[in-house]
This record gives sequence, C-alpha cells and structure tokens, in this order.
Amino acid sequence: MPDGFDKDVYPEPPRRTPAVEKQTGLPNPADILIKLFQYTVDVPVTTFRDWVEHQHERNRFYYYQQKFRRVPDLTECKLGDHLCNYEAEMQWRRDHKVDQEIVKVIKERLGACQQREGNSYLQNCDKEMNQFRQVSKAYQSRYGDLGAYGSAQKCLMKQKHRMIAERKEATAAED
Amino acid sequence: MVGMSVLRVAAGFAARLNPFKQGFSNGRLLTRTIPKTESAAVRYGSHGKQMFVFKPSDYYDRRFLHLLRYYILLTGIPVAAIITYINVFIGEAELAEIPENYVPEHWEYYKHPITRWIARNLYDPPEKNYEKMMALIEIESEKAEMRRTQMDVRKLMREKGDGPWYHYETMDKSLIDYSPKSTPDN
Repeated sequence: MPDGFDKDVYPEPPRRTPAVEKQTGLPNPADILIKLFQYTVDVPVTTFRDWVEHQHERNRFYYYQQKFRRVPDLTECKLGDHLCNYEAEMQWRRDHKVDQEIVKVIKERLGACQQREGNSYLQNCDKEMNQFRQVSKAYQSRYGDLGAYGSAQKCLMKQKHRMIAERKEATAAED
Repeated sequence: MVGMSVLRVAAGFAARLNPFKQGFSNGRLLTRTIPKTESAAVRYGSHGKQMFVFKPSDYYDRRFLHLLRYYILLTGIPVAAIITYINVFIGEAELAEIPENYVPEHWEYYKHPITRWIARNLYDPPEKNYEKMMALIEIESEKAEMRRTQMDVRKLMREKGDGPWYHYETMDKSLIDYSPKSTPDN
C-alpha cells in the first residue's frame, strides 16, 4: 500500500517467519534466487524510480480537496423556489457521491481484513463485518432503490414513506 | 598404388562436379563405382521440401498491416513520447491541506498535470457552469411566474370587468342618427 495509511485500520499481520536452523553446509537456493532477483530487477527499478522522484522534486505543485459550503436542504426550500431546489439537488448529489465512496472504503477494509487473516477470516473479521453490514444497510435504506434518475426529491419521498411505515408499525405494535 | 587411389578420387570429384561434360565419359573405368545421385535435383510429390510454393497473394494483407502500423504510429509515437516526458519530468501533484486565507483556482483540484492543463485552458470553471445553470433556471422560473400571473389577471378581468383590460371602444353616442326611427311613419 502507499505511504499515508492508518496503521490502526490496516494493521500489519504478525510475522510468521520461522527461526532458521541450517543443517547443511550448502547454500539455500531460495537465498540465491532472492539475491538474483534483487540485483537484476529490484535495484535497477528502484534507482530509476528514485531518479524520476528526483525530477519531480524540482518543481512540486499541489492539489487540494474542494470543500463546499452547506446550503439549505430540500426540506427548507419554499415551494416555487427553483434556485433553492437546484442548489439542494446539487448538494444531495455530492453527498450521494461521498456516501458511495464511504461504502467503498468500508468494503476495502473488509477485504483487507480477509486478506490479512487468511483462512480464519470468518471468525476474526467480526468488527469489520458488522461495520460493513451496518453501513450497507444504511446506504440501502437511504439511497437504495431510487434508480438511475434518482434525485433529492425522490430520496425525500422515500424517506417520507419510510417514516410513515415506521409510524404505522409503531401504532400497530401499540394495539 | 597411392597415386591410383588419388587419381580415382579426383576423377570421382570431377565426375560429380560436371556430370554432363563429355570429357569424363571416357574415364568410365575410373568413375563407374561412384554414383551420381545428388547431382540432379530430385523432386518428390509427397514428403520433400517444396521447391515452388503455391500460396495466395499476401500483398494486400501486408500492405494493410503496413499502413495500419504507419498511421497508428504516426500520432501514437509523439503522443506516447509527450505523455512519458510529462509523467517523468513534471510529475503528478501531491495532496495538501488548503493553506489559510487561500482560495485555490479551479484547476488546482486535479492531480495529473494534463488534466490540470485541460481544466485551466479548455474547460470553464465548474462555478461558471453552476452559475449559468442557475441563471437559466431563474429566467425560466420568472417567465413561468409572469405567465401564471398574466393568466390569472386575464381571467379575473374578463370575469369582473372592472380592470383596464377587455375594454372595447364604442362609438360616440352623439354621432348616432336617430332620424330613420324618430317618426312612426318612416
């Protein structure tokens, strides 16, 4: 993985290399092959990469994450205010994209956990599994079956129907 | 004795090299024991190496492939060279926090230098697109509101008749000539 990752979220697995107990005087062919690979492939590639990085160092430039201001929601817009509707729609679309990326990150964490644990992932990856289940259920309930032409208004109507159904269930449970 | 064997070998070589020259047919004594099997080309109809290969013309195929490679590489090689140069010597941007009191330009939100260049020189800033869309929406909503109010006003003025619309000009009443009906005997 590249450098700036969170060590708590992606912990390194404990090393399982056994202690070497050499019983012959012959050299280990694995060591020979590793050294061969190192000198023929690793060293040239690393020196080339270092030279390329040195070229990059000479003129550095940066890119930033764009931060958008929060605008009034669809619920706070008056009925015929189309401008307010447009801004709320754009904000909903940005939030939708952010939520998609969140689900992807959680999924990647689960995949990393499975890769780390190997064959015992079903019992060791509980935390990540629960987190993924929770996040994907929340995503499904909010953005779930909106379809390709989903908009802020359709999402709001979906929420309204969900709340009506919950209220109906609550009154039915009371009776 | 040795000389005889050398002569025989020499005569054999000469016979192999020039089998049809008449000068050696006289030396048949010497050359009788040497066979002349590989002096003429023997062609087999089945298993030998093909001497004259029949195959369909590959001129058009080779011409097509040549032209394909030529036209692809004509722009492909400069484009690949330029992109390699940019990736090696200019490099991609690094992610950083926005400094205090600094508003980045709209192209500074992209990583690759070519994307940044396109965003800077070819595309409009996304804020401009946003504002253009908002301007269109504003114009259309104002038009719709105007039309709605005009419809309401028209309906009310026709109904009530007390507004400035739907006044039909009539003639001046003093111009009416009542003389045809003024006396009962006309």
